Amino acid sequence: MIEEFRLPDLGEGLTESEIVAWHVAVGDTVALNQVIGEVETAKAVVELPSPFAGTVTAITHEPGTTVEVGEVIIAFEVEGAAGASGPDAEAPQKRVPTLVGYGADPESSSRPARRARAFAGAPATTTTTTGAASAPAGLPAVLPAVLPETPPAPSARVQADRPRSTPPVRKLARDMGINLELLAGSGERGLITRGDVVAFAGDRPHGAGTPVAVPASSVLPARTAGDAAREVRTPIKGVRKFTAAAMVQSAFTAPHVTEFLTVDVTAGMEFLARLRGSRAFADVKLTPLTLAAKAVCIGIARQPSLNSRWDEAAQEIVTMNYVNLGIAAATPRGLIVPNIKDAQALGMHGLAEAIGGLSATARSGKTPPQDLAGGTFSITNIGVFGIDAGTPILNPGEAGILALGAVRNTPWEYQGGIALRQVMTLSLSFDHRLVDGEQGSRFLADVGAVMADPAMALALS
Amino acid sequence: MSKLTLTQAINAGLRKAMEDDPKVVLLGEDIGTLGGVFRVTDGLMKDFGSHRVIDTPLAESAIIGTAVGLAYRGYRPVCEIQFDGFIYPGFDQIVSQVAKLHVRTHGKVTMPLTIRVPFGGGIGSPEHHSESPEAYFVHTSGLRVISASNPQDAYTMLRQAIACDDPVLFFEPKRRYHSKGEVDLDADLSRAPAMGAARVVSAGTDATLVTYGPLVPTALDAAKAAADDGVSLEVIDLRSLSPIDYAPIVESVRRTGRLVVTHEASETLGLGAEIVAAVTERCFNYLEAAPVRVTGFDIPYPPSKLEKHHLPDLDRILDGVDRVLGRPNSLSGLEG
Amino acid sequence: MLDTSSDSGPQPGIHQIIAADGTLHADEVLSPFVADVSDEQLVQLYRDMVVIRRIDTEATALQRQGQLALWPPMLGQEASQIGSVRALEEDDFIFPTYRENGVAYCRGADLAGIMSTWRGTANTGWDPHEFNMATPQIIIGAQTLHATGYAMGLTMDGKESLSIAYLGDGATSQGDVHESMVFAASFQAPVIFFCQNNHWAISEPVGLQAHSPIAGRAPGYGIPSLRVDGNDVLAVLAATRWAGARARSGGGPSFIEAVTYRMGAHTTADDPTRYRGVTELEEWGAKDPIARVRALLTARGKLDAGREAEIAGQADAVAAELRAACINLPDPDPMALFDNVYTGDHAILDRQRDHFARYLAGFAATESATTTLEGSRS
Repeated sequence: MIEEFRLPDLGEGLTESEIVAWHVAVGDTVALNQVIGEVETAKAVVELPSPFAGTVTAITHEPGTTVEVGEVIIAFEVEGAAGASGPDAEAPQKRVPTLVGYGADPESSSRPARRARAFAGAPATTTTTTGAASAPAGLPAVLPAVLPETPPAPSARVQADRPRSTPPVRKLARDMGINLELLAGSGERGLITRGDVVAFAGDRPHGAGTPVAVPASSVLPARTAGDAAREVRTPIKGVRKFTAAAMVQSAFTAPHVTEFLTVDVTAGMEFLARLRGSRAFADVKLTPLTLAAKAVCIGIARQPSLNSRWDEAAQEIVTMNYVNLGIAAATPRGLIVPNIKDAQALGMHGLAEAIGGLSATARSGKTPPQDLAGGTFSITNIGVFGIDAGTPILNPGEAGILALGAVRNTPWEYQGGIALRQVMTLSLSFDHRLVDGEQGSRFLADVGAVMADPAMALALS
Repeated sequence: MSKLTLTQAINAGLRKAMEDDPKVVLLGEDIGTLGGVFRVTDGLMKDFGSHRVIDTPLAESAIIGTAVGLAYRGYRPVCEIQFDGFIYPGFDQIVSQVAKLHVRTHGKVTMPLTIRVPFGGGIGSPEHHSESPEAYFVHTSGLRVISASNPQDAYTMLRQAIACDDPVLFFEPKRRYHSKGEVDLDADLSRAPAMGAARVVSAGTDATLVTYGPLVPTALDAAKAAADDGVSLEVIDLRSLSPIDYAPIVESVRRTGRLVVTHEASETLGLGAEIVAAVTERCFNYLEAAPVRVTGFDIPYPPSKLEKHHLPDLDRILDGVDRVLGRPNSLSGLEG
Repeated sequence: MLDTSSDSGPQPGIHQIIAADGTLHADEVLSPFVADVSDEQLVQLYRDMVVIRRIDTEATALQRQGQLALWPPMLGQEASQIGSVRALEEDDFIFPTYRENGVAYCRGADLAGIMSTWRGTANTGWDPHEFNMATPQIIIGAQTLHATGYAMGLTMDGKESLSIAYLGDGATSQGDVHESMVFAASFQAPVIFFCQNNHWAISEPVGLQAHSPIAGRAPGYGIPSLRVDGNDVLAVLAATRWAGARARSGGGPSFIEAVTYRMGAHTTADDPTRYRGVTELEEWGAKDPIARVRALLTARGKLDAGREAEIAGQADAVAAELRAACINLPDPDPMALFDNVYTGDHAILDRQRDHFARYLAGFAATESATTTLEGSRS
């Protein structure tokens, strides 16, 4: 078989040499290491020992020519199998030897590419996978026994594993007042993701005293005749678990008192109708809720205790000088309570706009997390369900919540007689640690006064 | 049980090792007649002879290099480097020879050397006597690196180091040489905690405080002061720097969610950097706050009048603890 | 540059027995130590030198052919290596540099083991305890401390054997060499410092390392010293026996400066024409260690054409064995990366080993996983 000899690099990073002389000719028999020629480097003439024993079949460069390192200069006919007597003829000697070794890999001109991987889900290109990487499947059997990621410490003090999440998601949950203990994580090995927290916040209903739109996930199967089960068991977890815990925490931490005030809001409704007719309010939707929102802000200004917070850890009551007014809203998953930041600074138009925006966003399920955090007082409109009154449970962390009942045509005292008037019941629950009976009552009276006669807003501000 | 100083415990450990194995020989400057500048080898030359407790000429590279030759010959040398700052002349023999000979010879030649190094500051000395060079050696594969913080650990870990067939650097916190502690001199070595094991020295729930060597007592003091403040710190003594025993650290951080590492050595590329990186990799989904390092500054060790500002103390450690707990601290409000 | 006079007779202060032209001289100090050497034994020394030169030639060719990463030639230093190694007992321990491949061969090192260092399949290739020779040392001078420590251990053990540290002229500038002489003298360790002054440390001439003869350094430490013609195998043999006798009888350390010449390059990719002239090579070529013994033996009728051919044939056979051993060295398994770093478990390393195994297992088995470097396949 034919073996080719390529010009080797002779040191110092030279890339070419000049053939000075051949000591053999085509047809000559050559012994291993026999000097077959001489080449000249920059400074010296170097002998070339033959790497093969065989017969010269071709000399490809004549003396006097300059040859690049790696080019074939002479070929031999040798006996025996390939690979036993020299470097692979296919691979030109590309690494340039240095004083101390083979030398560095040459730079490649071809496009860089990854080696083919053997496991399912391995990316075909160099793009990275998003989110948590899935464990490789289908590894060859040669894989050594799997070592645990970290051997679990055999400590008797270890409690149940804390919820696993990432630092940024923990902060989000903290800001939203959500306890990660109660979430089920959808990420790898139960990791709680940002999506889990946001979805969870969307599921959190508001107040146990109000009927809750039952989330689809916990719809009971329709009762069937015959061999249907007498009882159905649904695991306590996720949304319902958190909701329950929040209600419990609220109900059994803050002493709730609820007061009722039924008011003739006919004048208030007429006022709203008048506003609706004006051009300035043509672009917004005005409802009793809008008026109630304004009334609440006015009432809070006069009774700030309704807008405070009990800080147990610091042993302080925090009274906010801003009102982040939560408005209960229906979403595909149930009720959420996004809040309007700094509602006290908004006029009727601003409030109407904000309420409209909150509702629309909530209906489409796109309420951002910051809208759900930081509320200071809430309003829930149970009137839309045709209900008059209730005993709403406080949003945890808030001092008061106002439920608006339906507006009904009711026989009512009017100018000394009985007339059909538009009547609404206001139900106010408050935290008796933060709000005295007198304060709560005065607040409710103020709110009712504005609802009954919007001009009272001027008198009370 | 005996109440011994750290120095006495090390002395007892050397004595026991030499009694148990005639191949154990000590080499170092001033270790024989004088008994060592810290009296760590006091009395040993008298009892074991000058052929086993060898006063060497003043040459650190040779102390290590001849120990290599002795190891070839089947001895188990224990070298003393008189002060941390003087280890550098021997650095080449340690990293190029001691650390590599086992792998170089496919395991045919072992280097069961122990190199004892008094290290760390807080002793009011001039330059080169208060260094913390441990990171260079932790970074050198083929070496094991340990540091005992108390007399009992010093006694058992030194004996384990000498018995270990791998080369071991034994860093002795010199400012704790006079600290006393109970030592069980009859402790069965095979039942003692492994040389490579870290230990939770004080249990807690709010944050994990990891350290080694001279700062372990400081960390324990910090934990006591923190308790008065309503903060429960879990203090872990690394004991082994190469390898680091991550199991108890990870278990702790998964519970507390908060990590503070403290050491005298400079911040950049100190052991704190390695521990924070490794714990973040293993506990990312359990972390409540970014881990905090409380360390010496990136400066050559300062003059003794300034060293108290350079060395982490109780206050600086607790400032770091405040930071990891999200409480007001000296860097509150500072971005990054 | 040191005086490289072409006078073939003994130089002032340099002990010699066989002159460059093959004639014998009596040397007061050395001759008694080789009085027992028969002609037949001299033929064996000649054979040794021919064989190791042939090994050197073959290894150089193998590097030229891409089969070795590099090779440090010992061309011209055969007498220094053979003369010294043949003076040692089996239980003497040798601490070489990286150039003593002739010594290793004579001690019984496996050819594949010798080649593995230079091919890159292993850091080093033999068990030091098998024939009492440490593996090649690349840190210049470091081995002199190891030899000294070993010798201290011999004293502690009450043995009559010795250790020998090979070192070059360049090494005598390194601190470790001087520290080893301090320790050797202080502890009267039975160690031989065998310095081959081959005149060059890569491109730096010995005059840069020493302003006076190297042999003059040791007495400053209290260590007796001999300066010998390193190209004279009998002088080297004698000097090593002299030092050995001192060591074995409690006389402590000795220093030998064998004055020789590195006829080849520092390593096979070095170009000596950049720093030394042709004249020097010719001068030293005239002092060839093998040629002079050939002349001596031929004059004595102990070396005819037949004997020469037989010796050359043996040398060729060893060379062929060397070539085959080199080319057939298998590339190490990737997982060998983690072997022997420690004698026991090391949790961090064990974890890395496990992770790397998983990584490798993740590749489709379409190609060899053992190498991605071109040119390193054989």
